[in-house]
Amino acid sequence: MKLFSLLLPAALLAAPSLAEHTSNWAVLVCTSRFWFNYRHLANVLSIYRTVKRLGIPDSQIILMLPDDMACNPRNAFPGTVYSNADRAVDLYGDNIEVDYRGYEVTVENFIRLLTDRVGDEMPRSKRLLTDDRSNILVYMTGHGGNEFLKFQDAEEIGAWDLADAFEQMWEKRRYHEILFMIDTCQANTMYSKLYSPNIIATGSSELDQSSYSHHADNDIGVAVIDRYTYYNLEFLESEVRDTSSKKTVGDLFDSYTYEKIHSHAGVRYDLFKGGAEEARRRLVTDFFGNVQNVEVDSGKGETNASFEEEMVRLSRTIAELHKRAEEQEAAERNATASAGAKTEKKQQTRKIQHVAKPLTDDNWWTKKIVGATALAGCAALWGLGSYLESVV
Amino acid sequence: MPRLLSSALALRRDPRILKIPPYLSLLCILVGAVWLFLLPLNEYSRRTYISENALLPGQVHTYFGGSDQNVLRAYKQEVNSLVGKSNVEINDKLESIVKGLGLKTARQNFTYSAAGRTFEGENLYAILQAPRGDATEAIVLVAAWENVKHELNKNGVPLVLTLARYFKRWSLWSKDIIILLSPDSIAGPQAWVDAYHDAHDSSRVASLPIKSGALQGAIAIDYVQEHRFKSVHIVYDGVNGQLPNLDLINSVVNIAGGQMGMGVALQEMWNHNDKYPDRLRTMLRGMLKQGLGLASGPHSSFIPYHVDAVTLQPFGEGWQDEMAMGRVVEGTFRSLNNLLEHLHQSFFFYLLMHRERFVSIGTYLPSAMLVAANFTIMAIFLWMKSGQPEVPAASTPESSDKDAPTPTAERDLFLPLAVVALSGSLSVIPLYVFNHVPESALTPLFYLFLVINTLLPISISLTTTKLFSPTLQQYHLVKSFSLLLLGMFLSSLATLNFSLAMLIGLLSAPLSFVKPYSSPVSRIVGYVLLNLTSPPAVLLASAAIWGLNVGDILREAAVAWHVTGTTSAVVVWCVWWPAWLAGSVCVLGQPAGQEGKVKRA
Repeated sequence: MKLFSLLLPAALLAAPSLAEHTSNWAVLVCTSRFWFNYRHLANVLSIYRTVKRLGIPDSQIILMLPDDMACNPRNAFPGTVYSNADRAVDLYGDNIEVDYRGYEVTVENFIRLLTDRVGDEMPRSKRLLTDDRSNILVYMTGHGGNEFLKFQDAEEIGAWDLADAFEQMWEKRRYHEILFMIDTCQANTMYSKLYSPNIIATGSSELDQSSYSHHADNDIGVAVIDRYTYYNLEFLESEVRDTSSKKTVGDLFDSYTYEKIHSHAGVRYDLFKGGAEEARRRLVTDFFGNVQNVEVDSGKGETNASFEEEMVRLSRTIAELHKRAEEQEAAERNATASAGAKTEKKQQTRKIQHVAKPLTDDNWWTKKIVGATALAGCAALWGLGSYLESVV
Repeated sequence: MPRLLSSALALRRDPRILKIPPYLSLLCILVGAVWLFLLPLNEYSRRTYISENALLPGQVHTYFGGSDQNVLRAYKQEVNSLVGKSNVEINDKLESIVKGLGLKTARQNFTYSAAGRTFEGENLYAILQAPRGDATEAIVLVAAWENVKHELNKNGVPLVLTLARYFKRWSLWSKDIIILLSPDSIAGPQAWVDAYHDAHDSSRVASLPIKSGALQGAIAIDYVQEHRFKSVHIVYDGVNGQLPNLDLINSVVNIAGGQMGMGVALQEMWNHNDKYPDRLRTMLRGMLKQGLGLASGPHSSFIPYHVDAVTLQPFGEGWQDEMAMGRVVEGTFRSLNNLLEHLHQSFFFYLLMHRERFVSIGTYLPSAMLVAANFTIMAIFLWMKSGQPEVPAASTPESSDKDAPTPTAERDLFLPLAVVALSGSLSVIPLYVFNHVPESALTPLFYLFLVINTLLPISISLTTTKLFSPTLQQYHLVKSFSLLLLGMFLSSLATLNFSLAMLIGLLSAPLSFVKPYSSPVSRIVGYVLLNLTSPPAVLLASAAIWGLNVGDILREAAVAWHVTGTTSAVVVWCVWWPAWLAGSVCVLGQPAGQEGKVKRA
């Protein structure tokens, strides 16, 4: 432990790039269905459009839509979803990938997605294939209450369920940092139970506060977007025009006011390493964009080595390993020398296996002398024999 | 605890306790009546609100207008040329128009007979299939050729045709739209709705050749007025006092009153200042209509089938034109179109006192229940009283031993039960007769019945006195049984048709306090007074108050009985009248023997 605490700062100093993420993922969840909840789907789709604009590819966005507003017969503009009464941008457009739709959007599937506890049959496109270098944006919207969020009409996820899912992700090293964003009534209660590190959480409204819709489109006949999401989008559209933006998460959070949102938006920094100060310094594009650093495995500062040098190094390593093995063996022998007869026997039988050793150049002179002596002995025997014959 | 119990048991034998029930009963009636008059106050009523999230009333722009006005004018021309023609000729022309719009059409014949009259006709209807819907649900737009007052629906029919043409252009319907053009406002829609739900008598009403999905709502337009209007009158009373879901009324109020800026009136309160008297008047009118249980427009027949429906009647001098009326219907249909399931969120039991003020069943029900409870209290009281010996025992109550059982007089049940059963079974006669004689015989028959009704209690009383010489106990038991039944029926009825239960309860309240009088003078006075509250007398009085003909009232009742299945007549003849008869027999009763002791009892 002591060693670890000594090593940690050293490692951090040695490799500043380690603290950064290498991939960006987004989990965008709408939890309500039915025509009059049009705005919740529009909320999610507008965030979807934003993260795509900032470069996160569809393969790294998990989009959950429980209903299909575009094809609802009540939709006066078939095949479209708009989040603004000006209807400038069709969010449903022609390039949209919904990963979980209809009744697939359940609490179970959501938690399985986060923790990656899925069966073999689950296609890769429906999995959150993150690692400990992934930054994840988790955006949720729907109808919520005190410490729960309703999923469709049948079930709900509790704040503790969510906290436990995030903890499991942390334990499985499935994220680097998470930005958790939620737009529901009493949204801030949803993140109150989180306890895993490296999470920045923000919500639209406090306990006992409603989250209001921003405006309705009188031709579609329903509210098209919620206030909190609307003003998030406004910031993202105007301040974060491309991935080079240096706007921080702190700037985004500072843009929330009661006058705009009509409820008290909340932020939670305490889970983040370095607290508020560090969390606020994170760029918006760290979560909404696809900006990441390249991490090169262990070869820091080393130039390209040729294949031969590589091989030499490899053989050296092998030799080193051998030597280490022998030393270990010797040490073992010493240790067991004083042991009982039985163990000695075992030691001997074991030694037999070790007899087949490669020839070495060691004791060359000794071996020569032995050989010469043997030859001389043979010659002497022969001389003695012929002398005795002549005598008889 | 045991002491408390024993003292409570002792209290039971206290003679003073037996004096309480009549006062308690009176108190119930008074509180029940006063309760009703408190309801219009702000403290007891509530503002209306939209409960169903899906409805979203008034959130859409309505586009009915512009060139549709020319279309409307053309249709109006066509409709005007049909005035005075036969039902079939009218339907031929209208069918060609509707077919021309690209809608599937069909016709349905019906024949009802009631009060010696025949109500026959042919319904024309058309189905606008939702272009992107799944044909599992439908909403209905109704225009009857003539309204309940038999005025020609001169603007309503062309407006419905224009709306059908306009709706056909939209692709956003999630439910089919059915256009129903019926020859009259009551029988036609009734026949059609019955047949739509396969609940019709096929000997009188033809089956429907084409159908759509489950009906989710209906709007009827009763637009007689030729000039521009100011406000919309919402008629919402259904058959047998059933009401449409309050959300539907609120939606129309929201769209017409809020979005379109029209006035909205209820219960023919053309000017409503939202003060106590106007609220009370609106509420009482609503209660009266609910109590009568008659169909009040083409929408009424839909409500028993759990299809929420209202009739919209433009009225007053203003600047709103047919297009504005069309936009109200468009907005309402867009709201109904948003529905995902049957209207169920809001109230089905309510009393409206202003377009934005109501009381729900939880608040108003206690008043009718208290009135009904007064009969039950008296019935139990009389049962107890009948069990006591008529001559108080020689031993005074103070000396009575706790362990000794209360002396119980033996009850002679046969005669009381026979009288109550007789009055109950006799009730079938007026019910049958008034529903089955021809119209011309109704008025003479009514006066004949009035006479019989006056003489009947006297003859029953004389017969029983002569044959059985009933005791005071038996009179008590007659009253007890009849009040028990009355209280039971009225308290059950209060949950179904509050207003009817309340009306009958208040009208029969005197029955709680009648008893055999010893002196002939007070007996006759009592009987005369009781006769003033008899069902036929009340009918006569109300006819006089509203300037109606008794024959017409009875005819309407008979028609309602046969066509729409109104059951108010059953309550009047089979619940109220027997109770009154039994009460009258009691008043005229001359208990055998004990004149002197009756006074004490």
